[in-house]
Amino acid sequence: MDVSATNPLLDGLRIEPTPQPTVLVIFGASGDLTNRKLLPALYQLARGQRLPAQFRVLGVARTSWDDEAFRAHFHESLKTFAGLADPDEVSKALASDLFYVGGEMDDPALYARIASKLAEPGWPDGVLFYLAIPPTVYKQVVSRLADATLVKPRVDNGWRRVIVEKPFGTDLASARELNRALHRYLDEPQIFRIDHYLGKETVQNLLVFRFANGMFEPVWNRRYIDHVQITAAETVGVERRAAYYESAGALRDMVQNHLMQVLAHVAMEPPIRFSAENVRDRKLDVLLSIQPLQSSNGDDRTPLDVVRAQYTAGWVNGAEVPGYRQEEGVKTSSLTETFVAMRLQLDSWRWAGVPFYIRTGKRLPKRTTEIAIQFRRPPLHLFKRVSPTSISPNLLIVNVQPDEGISVRFEAKLPGTRMQLAPVMMNFRYGSAFGRAVPEAYETLLLDAMLGDPTLFARHDFVEHSWGLITPVHEAWAASGATEIPAYEAGEWGPREADQLIAADGRRWRTL
Amino acid sequence: MNSASMGLLPDGQDVPFSDIESTMAQLAREGRRRKGGPARALTATVVVVGEPDRMAEAAEALGLLSEAAGVRTILISEGQETAPSARVTAHAIGIAGLAPRFLNNAVAALRLSSLPTAVWWRGGPAEALQEIAHLADRLVIDVEDPARAWRVVGSIVDETAVTDLRWGRLTRWRSIFAHLYDLPAVRHARVRRLSLTASDPFAARLFAGWMRAMLQWSPDVAIHLVRADAPSKWPIESVQLEADGVDITVKTGSGHPCLHATIAGKETSTRIVPLGNGALKAVIGEELAVRSRDIAFERALDAALEVPAWP
Repeated sequence: MDVSATNPLLDGLRIEPTPQPTVLVIFGASGDLTNRKLLPALYQLARGQRLPAQFRVLGVARTSWDDEAFRAHFHESLKTFAGLADPDEVSKALASDLFYVGGEMDDPALYARIASKLAEPGWPDGVLFYLAIPPTVYKQVVSRLADATLVKPRVDNGWRRVIVEKPFGTDLASARELNRALHRYLDEPQIFRIDHYLGKETVQNLLVFRFANGMFEPVWNRRYIDHVQITAAETVGVERRAAYYESAGALRDMVQNHLMQVLAHVAMEPPIRFSAENVRDRKLDVLLSIQPLQSSNGDDRTPLDVVRAQYTAGWVNGAEVPGYRQEEGVKTSSLTETFVAMRLQLDSWRWAGVPFYIRTGKRLPKRTTEIAIQFRRPPLHLFKRVSPTSISPNLLIVNVQPDEGISVRFEAKLPGTRMQLAPVMMNFRYGSAFGRAVPEAYETLLLDAMLGDPTLFARHDFVEHSWGLITPVHEAWAASGATEIPAYEAGEWGPREADQLIAADGRRWRTL
Repeated sequence: MNSASMGLLPDGQDVPFSDIESTMAQLAREGRRRKGGPARALTATVVVVGEPDRMAEAAEALGLLSEAAGVRTILISEGQETAPSARVTAHAIGIAGLAPRFLNNAVAALRLSSLPTAVWWRGGPAEALQEIAHLADRLVIDVEDPARAWRVVGSIVDETAVTDLRWGRLTRWRSIFAHLYDLPAVRHARVRRLSLTASDPFAARLFAGWMRAMLQWSPDVAIHLVRADAPSKWPIESVQLEADGVDITVKTGSGHPCLHATIAGKETSTRIVPLGNGALKAVIGEELAVRSRDIAFERALDAALEVPAWP
């Protein structure tokens, strides 16, 4: 073995892998995402020795800062969002690798300054650009980077990658246009479209659960599964994001990206091997199998596949809260949906006839994201005469957040001389089973992007097909001429229409 | 001798060996009734075997650990008893003074079936170690002088994943050297000498063995071990790697538990990384979570056996 070609010291090392020397260039370095997520994630990666041996961060933003101001901002961020009251040796060491360049995103001089910084001696030629900026300037920034020859490495073993935050477009046409614009300057393997749900441990564990166990996959199909419910519930309102949310709504904000990814993990066929392209191919197959959605547009004859609604004033988390239209920055006549429920049918051998119900909303009673797979009842109620109550169907629940884990519900005999049945839960919880902290999604995703592993990032065709499903719904809503949409009281589990959607199939939403 | 006198499971209940399972089930039921909530999923059995004076510390570490992770713990101190007393709580068993030849019988009877069993070996005859290893998926050796235990490892590694607790304590040291090896100036340099200053000679030999095995050093690369002036909470104090054109020195920091690395070559640069939590609970917790065979450890151990101890 030529030990100089690889790094044998990494073999068997549990703190692995570490990326090649990297510069992380953050556009939007003074913004909220950087402050709340990126800087704390970098600190945690440094603590775990996951950052490369040579590592620099170059912050870029309009704010008039210098290196020291950016470093001070970094320590403030750790104080607020990483619970680090005072800088420690790790944060001090990492801070010394933080640098800053200020300027307007459309100013070529900014990119000349970035190029000059990256060309300084000792700066690695592996560069990861993180676009933590509004999507409206993605194209401009990438084209400016290309003009400054920053998207091509200077040396043979150098590399350039770009992380793009959501939302990736606002509809099918804009997503296609954005993909075209990025592909003008970047190859697809250079583009990392981030979806922080994919960084969550439980979502990744879905693949392990399904494909590393022999007992679940044989029953993971229409023969044994009655239906699937995916719920992503938030207690918060729009907070400071009203301007964005008014033009997005729940369908764009949650369904097109996060929930479609979760659905794909639940429904995908096993990949030939666990490689990025194989996994992403099988996920795309799921989207291709989804039947076109039909939305209520005022025509009663149209089946209701999608329900939208908006919260009104109510009571959440022990306090009264205003309705959506009373939130700051929201139009009083807004038709933006803060809740969506939908029924998806997959035209595939595995899932034909098994509905997938999805619901997501703001100002719901509790914060939780879960996937519930409900199995068919046994063909015969053998114990009907002695235990007349109906048998609860078996349930497999994957808790994505906040209490990550997996639970199985099955029937058991109650102790006693009589034959009485009752459902019981068998629980696996990440928090207690392994006794170690689950990493934040951004830690996992930043590291994977530095390593060049795109498995947990969305590919261009997945994004486009996802928009292809959602865009007709938006078009139908726009064409309906509606002046009102269904309402639900903050602190309740959505509107009556959502209950009717699932009740039409003889089912009901899980009470969470 | 009984479990109470060893300081094991002070809140436990004394029972005959034959009543252990039924009493634990009853205590678990009562505990759930008092606290409410669902039962916790158990993920493994952890067996601690050792001399009586090393059990209380292990019991405390495992007590903290089992609060975080669902494990059944079995604490067995060695002695001459053939019918020892037992003390139990809902998820832990303490057995005092058991004759080593019955160790494997006790563990076979008490381990959770169908879930992994990890053995934390804190001392005892090598023969007993070999026997108990057959029941274990993972064996963590944690003895002051592991020479006898290390000799057993070769005969059990095909069946049981083995490690030494000091290997876990070396993880951060290995990690920073692996990190630094990514630097072209380090990777392509010809190494001449490795010097280690350590308070634990076996940790030093293990680290040197690892470097030698993984980098396929010839005997020309000199390995020099130096005894630290004073005992330390860290097994190694400093490592110096001398190579053509570059010298690397990694030392424990003063005050904070950090490693300071200095890379001196054409340019001099430094790295500071945390040394991690060296507390027994943290280190054993990390090791017990591992289930798979550690080939790097096995290769390091093979090479370490060839590294001479310090004079």
